[in-house]
Amino acid sequence: MTKSINTSGVGSAINRVEGHLKVMGKAKYASEFPIENKVYGQGINSTIAKGEIVSIDTSEAEKLEGVLKVITYKNAEKLKTLEGVRPEIATDTIAPVLQSNKVHYFGQYVGLVVAETFEQAQYAASLVKFEYKKDPSAVIDFEKSRSKAYTPDNDSNYSRGNMDQGLAEADMVVEQTYNTPIEHHHPMELHAVIASWDNGKVTAYASQQIIEDAKIAISGTFQIPKKDVRVISPFVGGGFGSKLNLDRHVIMAVMASKMVDRPVQVTVTRTQMFTNTNMRQQNEQKMRVGAKKDGILTALSHETLSHTSTTQEFQEPCGMVSKMLYNVANNEVTYKLIPMNMQTPFAMRAPGEATGSFALESAMDEMAWKLKMDPIEFRIKNDTQTDLHEERPFSSRLLVECLRIGAEKFGWKDRKPEPRTNKKGNWLIGYGVSAASRNSPYQKTHSKVILELDEDKVFATIQMDATDIGTGSYTIIAQTASEYLKIPVEQVNVELGDSDFPITPGSGGSWGAASFCNGARAACENAIKTLKNNRNIAQDEEVAVSELLKKNQLTKFEAEGMAEPSAEFEKYSVFSFGANFSEVWVDKDTGMYRIKRMVNVASAGKILNPKTAYGQIIGGLTMGVGMVLAEQTRVEPNFGNFITRSFADYHVPVNLDLANIDVIFLPEEDKIANKMGIKGIGELGITSVAASVSNAIFNATGKRMRDLPITPEKLIEAGLEEGVTA
Amino acid sequence: MRPFTYTRANNKEQALQAFTATSHYLGGGTNLVDLMKEDVERPDQLIDVNNLDYKKITSNDKGGLTLGAMLSNSETANNKEVRTNYPLLSMAMLSAATAQIRNMASNGGNLLQRTRCPYFFEVSMPCNKRDPGSGCGALNGMNALHAIFGYSDSCIATNPSDMCVALAAIGATVEVQQADGTSRMIEFTDFHRLPGDRPEKDTTLSQGELITAIHLPKAEFSDHYYYLKIRERSSYAFALISVAAGLQVESGVINKAGLAMGGVAHVPWKLTKAEEFLAGKKPTTENFEAAAELEMKDAKPFEANKWKVDMGKNAIVRALTQAFEREV
Ligand SMILES: Cc1cc2nc3c(=O)[nH]c(=O)nc-3n(C[C@H](O)[C@H](O)[C@H](O)COP(=O)(O)OP(=O)(O)OC[C@H]3O[C@@H](n4cnc5c(N)ncnc54)[C@H](O)[C@@H]3O)c2cc1C
Ligand code: SF4
Repeated sequence: MTKSINTSGVGSAINRVEGHLKVMGKAKYASEFPIENKVYGQGINSTIAKGEIVSIDTSEAEKLEGVLKVITYKNAEKLKTLEGVRPEIATDTIAPVLQSNKVHYFGQYVGLVVAETFEQAQYAASLVKFEYKKDPSAVIDFEKSRSKAYTPDNDSNYSRGNMDQGLAEADMVVEQTYNTPIEHHHPMELHAVIASWDNGKVTAYASQQIIEDAKIAISGTFQIPKKDVRVISPFVGGGFGSKLNLDRHVIMAVMASKMVDRPVQVTVTRTQMFTNTNMRQQNEQKMRVGAKKDGILTALSHETLSHTSTTQEFQEPCGMVSKMLYNVANNEVTYKLIPMNMQTPFAMRAPGEATGSFALESAMDEMAWKLKMDPIEFRIKNDTQTDLHEERPFSSRLLVECLRIGAEKFGWKDRKPEPRTNKKGNWLIGYGVSAASRNSPYQKTHSKVILELDEDKVFATIQMDATDIGTGSYTIIAQTASEYLKIPVEQVNVELGDSDFPITPGSGGSWGAASFCNGARAACENAIKTLKNNRNIAQDEEVAVSELLKKNQLTKFEAEGMAEPSAEFEKYSVFSFGANFSEVWVDKDTGMYRIKRMVNVASAGKILNPKTAYGQIIGGLTMGVGMVLAEQTRVEPNFGNFITRSFADYHVPVNLDLANIDVIFLPEEDKIANKMGIKGIGELGITSVAASVSNAIFNATGKRMRDLPITPEKLIEAGLEEGVTA
Repeated sequence: MRPFTYTRANNKEQALQAFTATSHYLGGGTNLVDLMKEDVERPDQLIDVNNLDYKKITSNDKGGLTLGAMLSNSETANNKEVRTNYPLLSMAMLSAATAQIRNMASNGGNLLQRTRCPYFFEVSMPCNKRDPGSGCGALNGMNALHAIFGYSDSCIATNPSDMCVALAAIGATVEVQQADGTSRMIEFTDFHRLPGDRPEKDTTLSQGELITAIHLPKAEFSDHYYYLKIRERSSYAFALISVAAGLQVESGVINKAGLAMGGVAHVPWKLTKAEEFLAGKKPTTENFEAAAELEMKDAKPFEANKWKVDMGKNAIVRALTQAFEREV
């Protein structure tokens, strides 16, 4: 087969195909659909952490002009409720709401006001009076509630070898605890929905990451057939995991729309984004690491204490990295959860890795320091090509290359190993490194291609229920079609985010790119194969798709395709790998610090589009900087509410906080991962960033910071004047 | 948001006349409107004073500048006269918020911006400042960011303004119009008040008084100045602690020092003892440290904000050092 030149196919750095729509404001997000006759719902939140509603006075609200309905548990439709003690939360979990007078956490929805305008609904919501009977047994203080922790009944607790023996063999042991606070996803686009009923069928324009699961959740909650639910979500303004599952505002909108017989829009406010759209929970991770004098690891354990809600269970797999990243025979990973009166936590960008890597990669740095070994050499010495946890090889693993190439690019050789020896004026300067890994799942994906012949040109439309959550899915799917149909990308139209389209796993968990593109590939390959077969053309003969349509005497042709993991895939562990390098300048008097430079090296399979891939990595790095610098949701210890309630007090990084960032993608095509050789990128970028910065802060100041975020006050408390306190 | 009426005043008479007990003047609205959305402020009427003719920067009879109250923070901070003669003020103002907010924020409004205490913002929490008599949620709650000086059991909040810290160091005077149409002058140190048992009152203004100008004395710190703002991120964050330092140095001796601190009290905290101590002394690290010690030994931190004492000391020394070392 001769290779045709395609400047817009897979691997080209083309601009986003939907970019102009976004710039011109023409990309329609959930709340922007001009649905006629639409009214507005405003959720009301509880103001106690635990107890019961004893009375509700809706009279003042109902008197207001424009108010159509006040919905509370008293008049809400009966929904399917959760069964069992703390059932596990998943992406397709039902989301019952307003079903009883019980309050489980501060901020729980206790009502919805529906009014003609948004302003009327908001004002009326503030006039509904709830009287509560407070239950003083609310569990809101993590520190004071340790004794309530239980071991979740799942298979994530794990051990291999013998920890005690491993520690006994060790010449050096590091035993430390690392803390990460509650964090919130806060995508730019607020969660929103417009729900409308027509002839017993409901359509929800909803900002969701996984269309099929949203559909399952709506049909399950209302106990209506799936075929009567349509979910539309062509553009999603970021999700980071917060839109993986269906949150309760959608259910309230669907219910309200039925009750007032009008389309109802519910937009979650920024303050409600803290209490009603998921979060990452607080984690306390205790690490024990044992190593021989020569740097060989003998033992590694990772014990995580977190919390879930009192009603549902979520456990972030923080210890996952410790099971697979290094060659250590004796390994133990355990989890404990405290049921707390808070909303149920759920997956946030790189669940497990983002937080787990902070603990593991800090502990590795502490060990390297104790061993007086270079932290890069220490990691390389303990590299493994086998996933010791799954007992199978990695499909590909270039971690050592990531570390070596990054070290070269970063200028690691200039690092002064002894802390506090690199100074400039008031600045203490340090270099830090960390290794990163992120599971690369790949899932069954269906897709459809519609080919249309216009003169000599073929125009293709790809349809699937995939979502583009701002990552560039439209673009890489278009590039895939361009590649496999051998037509310019300008002739490809991609239609996503509609449950009438073929089913995909949606966006999340870094599986989107591999799944969607292979799905689109399958449909395109099927189309060409069928067109050739119909005319008895040999499969390996190169014929332009326009010719194929002509030979078939067709001007329009449709084909479907499906891609899924191969049997080979199951025999390997498929992960993306990376390395982070940071140079940090700490002001010795104020505790403020600047991350001057960052280098990230990623081995993340085939890079479909360097621009969108780069966007994913720098987005991840930015979020990682947020983790280390300032992001934290604080819980009021007497009332159980979050006192961080807007962007004024939940601090995400600003431009000035970000360094000069170099991103390097190692050339890699992992054909075991999938036919196109694609691995995940979206979550790799955030992984271990916090550790690389924290390790640099140790190198700069001699102070080991084990509690995120690392704020000026914590550095001042650590004492920046002198001394290395390992 | 609650419904309210909006009145636009075109001159001070209209503004004063329209004022009722449940009115609020509207400057840039960057604080007031936010608080109305949160249901913390509940005015029946907003009197927009942005059209009033107090938008100039002029020379005053003390040899200093007078800043119109309705001028934006951006225009003030970037004004050439201000930059040249009061760079400390300019530096402090430019460290605040974001460019967008500074474009909206007025000088008058900045003086009256309210505390960022989270209990004040959440209407279901107790807060004496928002709801007198309901208790102070922060006292036995989360107070890592609260006051270490001058607080009372009724309120331990801090004043969030950067601009005001510089104005306290410089020694400004605020001109206000009283209900009867006459004006009065308020020394900057008398403008904000400590909480005492009336934390709902942030300032010594009487109801309905309209701020029209801020008078600056003859410039004294245009050569040696520094505004140090310690915060969690590089912009768009309130100060954890800030220090405005101005020095007048002649023949190697400090003639006069202007010093104030932010993030530590209910008012911009004027460091009078340190100012007095430094006058007539050499600008040495030892003297700066002694001055810092003199102020910080009076601090009464809570368990959660003890760090403010160490950080505060460092900040005073550092701001003085940077102010002195600044090459003229
Ligand atoms: C997210 C965020 C971050 C911020 N960060 C900072 C920061 O880092 N540092 C900082 O210093 N500030 C910061 N600010 C606060 C900002 O500086 C103030 O909101 C602003 O200065 C207020 O000015 P304004 O004109 O908008 O006041 P308004 O909101 O209009 O009014 C504030 C108050 O003053 C009254 N008022 C206004 N004008 C007059 C007048 N002429 N006479 C009498 N009363 C009047 C109003 O009635 C009201 O009570 C921040 C604000 C926000 C929203
Ligand atoms: S410190 Fe002041 S503002 Fe904060 S809760 Fe107490 S009274 Fe209210």
